[in-house]
Amino acid sequence: MKKTIIHTENLSVSFDKNEVLRNININIKQGEIVAIIGPNGSGKSTLLKAILGLIPYQGKITIFDQPITKITDKIGYVPQKFEFDKTFPLTIREFLEISEKNVTNKEINHALNEAEMSAHQKQLIGQLSGGQLQRILIARAILKQPEILFLDEPTTGIDIEGEMDFYQMIKHQNEYHKVTVIMISHEISMVYKHASQIICLNRDLICMGKPKQAITKEVLKKLYGDDVDLMHHEH
Amino acid sequence: MLDIIQYPFMQRAIIAGITLGILLALLGIFVVLKRMSFFSSGIAHASLAGVAIGIILSLNPLLTALLLSIIFAIIIYLVEEHYHITSDTTIGIIFTSGMALGVLLISLQNDYQPELISFLFGNILSISQNELWLIVGLSIIISIFVISYLKPLTLIALDKETAQVNGVPVKKLQPALYISLAIAVVLGIKVLGIILVSALLIIPIATSKLIAKSFKKLVVCSIILSEITVISGIIFSYYLDLPTGPTIVLIGTLIFIFTMIYKALKK
Repeated sequence: MKKTIIHTENLSVSFDKNEVLRNININIKQGEIVAIIGPNGSGKSTLLKAILGLIPYQGKITIFDQPITKITDKIGYVPQKFEFDKTFPLTIREFLEISEKNVTNKEINHALNEAEMSAHQKQLIGQLSGGQLQRILIARAILKQPEILFLDEPTTGIDIEGEMDFYQMIKHQNEYHKVTVIMISHEISMVYKHASQIICLNRDLICMGKPKQAITKEVLKKLYGDDVDLMHHEH
Repeated sequence: MLDIIQYPFMQRAIIAGITLGILLALLGIFVVLKRMSFFSSGIAHASLAGVAIGIILSLNPLLTALLLSIIFAIIIYLVEEHYHITSDTTIGIIFTSGMALGVLLISLQNDYQPELISFLFGNILSISQNELWLIVGLSIIISIFVISYLKPLTLIALDKETAQVNGVPVKKLQPALYISLAIAVVLGIKVLGIILVSALLIIPIATSKLIAKSFKKLVVCSIILSEITVISGIIFSYYLDLPTGPTIVLIGTLIFIFTMIYKALKK
């Protein structure tokens, strides 16, 4: 039986009296790849940020039975937006050096190897393509070899090839390093293919479970309205 | 050439210039990276209220401006953190109302205020011994703070959310950076004046960005260029009998332009 590592109880988040998340109760088990789906404004990023302790919330959240502030070493995070001055001279290696306290050369080399970016370590981050930058953000997230990886819409703005590479990296982290992955995704097809668990949000928790069982026509209707339907592909 | 360092006022000017050159270059890196030039400009202009309060109460205007700028920095940080108001708006309000209060208070004084002119346009040659101690002391403390926390401060400027997730004490370091920047801006006012102080926070770093191929080189290069700019500005202004602040700014701008041309020709 897999161990529950993330637990939320009656989790609600409001901004200026506007309730964005309402009474969310979820349990995430170790070793899963969990995809959070839902329409724009459904509270996906809010849920992730609340779990990560980035925004205030009501209710209870524990990770490994502790508040997040106590276990930052076990967490890796890839943000949705990473906007920076592209002309700023910061090499990839320096970027990794500043990202974690007490990070060793061995840890940086390992993370660069995992991301297959060792050859680029002296390159400036402003010169990277979207796909390469995504690899570096993942390298940064796995620097301290975390047990949980949080990814907020990780494939936004990268091409299909980059997207395939990305999912391979995530699978590798999950299968080989036993990292639990929690990611927000817009692409139901990718969720079907790669996620082992799914959380559907639309302010309330709409569904939770294995993708093929949890994503039904009714669920999609609740999430995206009448116009969206599900098509199965067999290859 | 050596006659320039014979006079105590020039010695004080050179020591203050060298110290502030390092401090403003170090903090300028965050001003450029976090796009905070409006912050430094806003604090500089708003500190006119502090200068005016000092003049009216017969206190050292540098001290009153320092105190008020720290309060402004804390207000900007708190509003940015707790309200859905962009820091640009807060800075804009503080910038204009601080300046307005300064002008209003000064208008209550009937006589000519030479001190005020030196704050508006800078007068490095008017630095007193006590002010020199204040500039050197605070610059050393802030420089040690910035160098000690260079990595987490850079991460906060680059990606605040990740810094928070990675356990960086963002809620302590960010206000500390704002306060440090406010203090440095007011100290810099003595050299360059309210209107020009932002130049030393931006120009040496902008020039270094054109040539540096890594962050470490950017830091070193910014400090060296800042020192070259300040020292040559003091020397030129002394021998050509020009105002020091504008001379420093224009030398910095010339170095920037030549570096840009050099880089364009090298391509």
